[in-house]
Amino acid sequence: MSLALPHAGPVGTADAQEPPHEAMEQAADWYALLRSGVATDGDRLEWSRWLERDADHRHAWSYVEAVSRSFEPLQATQAPQATADGLWAANQRVLQRRRLLAGIALFGGSGLLGWATWRHTPLPLMAQAWRADHRTATGEIREVVLADGSRVWLNTATAFNLDYGADARRLQLLAGEILVETAHEAGRPFFVHTPQGRLQALGTRFTVRLDGEETLLAVYQGAVEVRTAEGAASAVIKAGRQIRFGRDALGAQAPADIAREAWSRGVLAANNVPLSEVVGELRRYRHGHLGLAPEVAGLRVFGSFPLHDTDEALKLLAYALPIQVRRTLPWWVSIEAVATGEKAGKAADKAAGKAGS
Amino acid sequence: MSASDYAIPPSVETLYCDHHGWLQTWLLRRLNNAADAADLAHDAFLRLILKPAPRGFDSFGEARGYLRAMARDMCINLWHRREIEQAWLETLAGRPQEHAPSAERQAMVLEALHEIGAMLLDLSPKAARAFLLAAVCQMSDREVAEVLGVSDRMVRKYVSQGMLRCMRLQARQTAGELMAGGPGW
Repeated sequence: MSLALPHAGPVGTADAQEPPHEAMEQAADWYALLRSGVATDGDRLEWSRWLERDADHRHAWSYVEAVSRSFEPLQATQAPQATADGLWAANQRVLQRRRLLAGIALFGGSGLLGWATWRHTPLPLMAQAWRADHRTATGEIREVVLADGSRVWLNTATAFNLDYGADARRLQLLAGEILVETAHEAGRPFFVHTPQGRLQALGTRFTVRLDGEETLLAVYQGAVEVRTAEGAASAVIKAGRQIRFGRDALGAQAPADIAREAWSRGVLAANNVPLSEVVGELRRYRHGHLGLAPEVAGLRVFGSFPLHDTDEALKLLAYALPIQVRRTLPWWVSIEAVATGEKAGKAADKAAGKAGS
Repeated sequence: MSASDYAIPPSVETLYCDHHGWLQTWLLRRLNNAADAADLAHDAFLRLILKPAPRGFDSFGEARGYLRAMARDMCINLWHRREIEQAWLETLAGRPQEHAPSAERQAMVLEALHEIGAMLLDLSPKAARAFLLAAVCQMSDREVAEVLGVSDRMVRKYVSQGMLRCMRLQARQTAGELMAGGPGW
């Protein structure tokens, strides 16, 4: 059963159109059934078949996931029912006033959508990402060859714009992570711009990742010059080194993590890193919630895991570590310690997983 | 004045001169608060600058209609936010002080409340309540049915209705955002 929805996110241009009403209705019905408390394994199987049958179904389901996610903060409150009742009562009072307002100034057509949309205007950068020249959905990894022969791999949920001018080749990274292998061209330098600064490739292979307020650069071949957006701190990062930097300062250099490059081959490589880090990476490739119990967060992980099938990756982890993967709902997965001591000690002496594809 | 057409697409300055005073009065009559009315009138024009009407305005009347619709939504939005904040504060006040969530956490909850409250406004009160109990409290159909005094079947229907409503708003919102400079409403 495929639970990951690789292309289901409502982000691509092909997805600009709302799915057919019928698919939306069916998705809502499936949601109502699956969470009802009386869903059977047979229902869940049928649901997964429904999901596999049609891209419209997956697209519609991605909206179920998006809506479900907006409920997460409320589910975690101390008194969810009091919160829900308070919200409901507030809505009823507003409805009364809305009717009153309609009585004062009869005006049709504008409706609720307006201010709902307005309120949730996304971060400008996110809006930009949707219109970017090159983009990947959550869970997708893709390679593009640029006009000059340079190659760029886009990691999950990544977007960039290109501006190839006569004097320079410029790539603006809007979201996510890229691995760049530049083709040499005399007199036309290759720049990567991030909100935190500008990178100049000096004949190279390197990865750039946007991470909140910081950019993470790792260089595997050649060298890259970094210049921060403000304060103009600069440094040349050589092969085998990595650096984190913000808008006005450079962080300390560290040895480049060779595993960081593995994603371009669809593999998550872990070499003695805590489970929390591996799960953090896997989250970037999945829709929905992936929880991790604190008591297992520190388990050490070795091995390679497939990024194109994160369910498989979770299975491999559960095989190698004393953990169990629980699916409350298809988009709600949590990783917990196994209840019995049967697997105890396994983590310490067993290398995890087999090589991914 | 009502028949007057704009010869050329009006600038924001023109629109401001023609409509700001009227808009502020319109808002004041509904909000009964001069400061709120001034704020919202200001926001309305700010919004026109940031996100102009898709096809521009051909006439004075068209511009006024657009602004009136915008102002109406702004009023409801303002009331809604205040009602929701009030309800949330009351919920918090009913809890022991030592369990009060962090400020950051509270802001997240408030944002979620606004978003969800907005999505559910057009549902029937019963359907909205059933959907909230199911989605926020994660109650089973049986449990929701007991609270509301309706059948399990009805709960299932309400939950599906509520989800569909939210999905469609979300979808249209996404589509609206994809159209560069498209209308917010």
